[in-house]
Amino acid sequence: MPITILPPKAFREPPRNLHHDSDDVMSDASSDSEDSDSQPGGVSLDSGETIHPRKRRSAATTSGSTFTKRPKTANITSSISVPRSAIVTPGERITTDPQWMRGHGTYLSSATLGEQAITSSLAGIVTRTNKLLSVRPLRARYTPEVGDLVVGRIVEVQAKRWRVDVGSTQLAALPLSAINLPGGILRKRTETDELQIRTFFAEGDLVVAEVQQLFQDGGAVLHTRSLKYGKLRNGVFMAVSGTGGGSGVVRSRRQVWTLESANNGGPIDVILGVNGYVWISKHVDPVIPEEAKNQQTGITNLEEVVSATMYSSQNDRIEPETMREIARIRGVVTALVENGLRVDEDMVTKGYNEAVEMALVSEGGPEDVYLGGERGEQLAAALTGRLA
Amino acid sequence: MPLDTSAYSLALLRVDGRRWNELRRIHAQIRTQAAADGSSYLEMGHTKVMCVVNGPSEPGPRRGGVATGGGGGGGGGQSKNAEVAVNIVIAGFSSVDRKRRGRGDKQVFELQSTISQALAASLHTHLFPHSTINISLHVLSQDGSLLAALINAATLACVDAGIPMTDYVAACTAGSTSTYAANDEGADPLLDMNHQEEQELPGLTVATLGDSDRVAVLVCESRVQVSRLEGMLAVGVDGCKQVREILDRVVREKGIKMIQEGTVERGVGLNDMELD
Repeated sequence: MPITILPPKAFREPPRNLHHDSDDVMSDASSDSEDSDSQPGGVSLDSGETIHPRKRRSAATTSGSTFTKRPKTANITSSISVPRSAIVTPGERITTDPQWMRGHGTYLSSATLGEQAITSSLAGIVTRTNKLLSVRPLRARYTPEVGDLVVGRIVEVQAKRWRVDVGSTQLAALPLSAINLPGGILRKRTETDELQIRTFFAEGDLVVAEVQQLFQDGGAVLHTRSLKYGKLRNGVFMAVSGTGGGSGVVRSRRQVWTLESANNGGPIDVILGVNGYVWISKHVDPVIPEEAKNQQTGITNLEEVVSATMYSSQNDRIEPETMREIARIRGVVTALVENGLRVDEDMVTKGYNEAVEMALVSEGGPEDVYLGGERGEQLAAALTGRLA
Repeated sequence: MPLDTSAYSLALLRVDGRRWNELRRIHAQIRTQAAADGSSYLEMGHTKVMCVVNGPSEPGPRRGGVATGGGGGGGGGQSKNAEVAVNIVIAGFSSVDRKRRGRGDKQVFELQSTISQALAASLHTHLFPHSTINISLHVLSQDGSLLAALINAATLACVDAGIPMTDYVAACTAGSTSTYAANDEGADPLLDMNHQEEQELPGLTVATLGDSDRVAVLVCESRVQVSRLEGMLAVGVDGCKQVREILDRVVREKGIKMIQEGTVERGVGLNDMELD
């Protein structure tokens, strides 16, 4: 039978399960709580024996419930009345109906004898996908997913791999076999490469990479096998909250783009790692030597030539104008996060244009890059007013 | 005895004007530090503590010297469960007498160990193998019930950090109106003791898991007659439930504020548990 994934729905209805039974039976804490976060979406088979499948409540009882979708635009000034039941907190029972499956952020508890309840283990909002119930936290650390573009910092160099901090609960691994070795993309990894592993990435280096694979326990394996990925230089790093809950960087169509900056700043690259690590740098066109230009420049040839400069840690010359515009973009991102707005290409571009205009009318002139405090709020207000 | 808690029998009012079953004012905030994964600030009367949670995260090779709070809740490192490392700093100005506490203070060490074990039992540490949850607690002002305030602050900060847990660990203290020596039959149990009462009267700290009666922490460091213990415990557990409600309200208010501001998208509420 084909499975259709329905988008999460929002709805409103008066709270029913808000109160907890206070006359819970005293029982051992370890025995009665069973957690399934590590295997999302599994209904435990044991529970099926103890629970009598109850009849579905007739649809008529809730046919009057209206579904309301909240517009996605962030609105700072809005004061919509939100019922207390809009969020759940740890230990709050979500449902005792055995036909639901429990997902992330929930566990099964049998506080009342004989009846197991799906209970929240987080403070967050309930989402449902078909029969799967999960709780999205208000804020949490980044959890890697395959295909995510992340910015990370090398924290440890091992024999055949690097350990990379990507803001997750565990360090990610970057195997030597998953990088572009200089001298051609298709070259085989040799022992010489293993011995000079530090010439590619050393401790403290910043990399942009993609999540290639996930381990069972949530650990991630990265790769940089593309010209888009690799070592980062010529810019500034900043860490904001990532995709996990709350404001910060969101997964979107484009995480990397080049912005044409104002005030003679030249082009500037912005990399928004899904993990909340952001890299803003001067855009440098790959240098192609003359002799390589004369040869046929196929895609492999180009990669061959570029990879020679790929692992350099030397910054290029950055003009003061460019530095100033990089600082301005950094200020925009900080202001977005401080005011609880999402960080994506659209918001950063609009925010930057707004910031340039704000600087023109400010006392400091176009050189004024300060975007904290009231300026940040002003910027956020201008953005939400425009997007709404 | 310079203290006058013995005046209780006259008007059934305690030194600070409360009745036997009243909590002090509890004020709490979460997300007080933007840079941390989770943070909280909590006042129980004049006891004021601050908590910062970082993690769960895998410690790098360089950062070996993390002060662990007595090693409660698993080994960290390569173990299958996350380690809960608690670090408590008691400010010199926090109490009336300026006491200097070194690194190896036994009292602080015991507090760290108690909190670490209590939280490790409630947090779902098996979801974060090889990682460490670092909890830093700062005591700004002391006026009794210190352990209870620390536990409550740590719980709030863990909720803020989005670490899955079975339920809140809410704590408070309970005491008895007469000392061990006074063979007083009509001794009343007292809820939420302040510093003055803690000095003179027997007391215990109790923490429960959520609003169930399951006791997570029970610490009693004074001589108390066994016949009074049950009453004290009952009052303490009841107090914990009140504390849980207060903590829950703080978290809810913050969450609702975030939804109103549009930081978090509104999801499905609790009650539409019908399938399509």
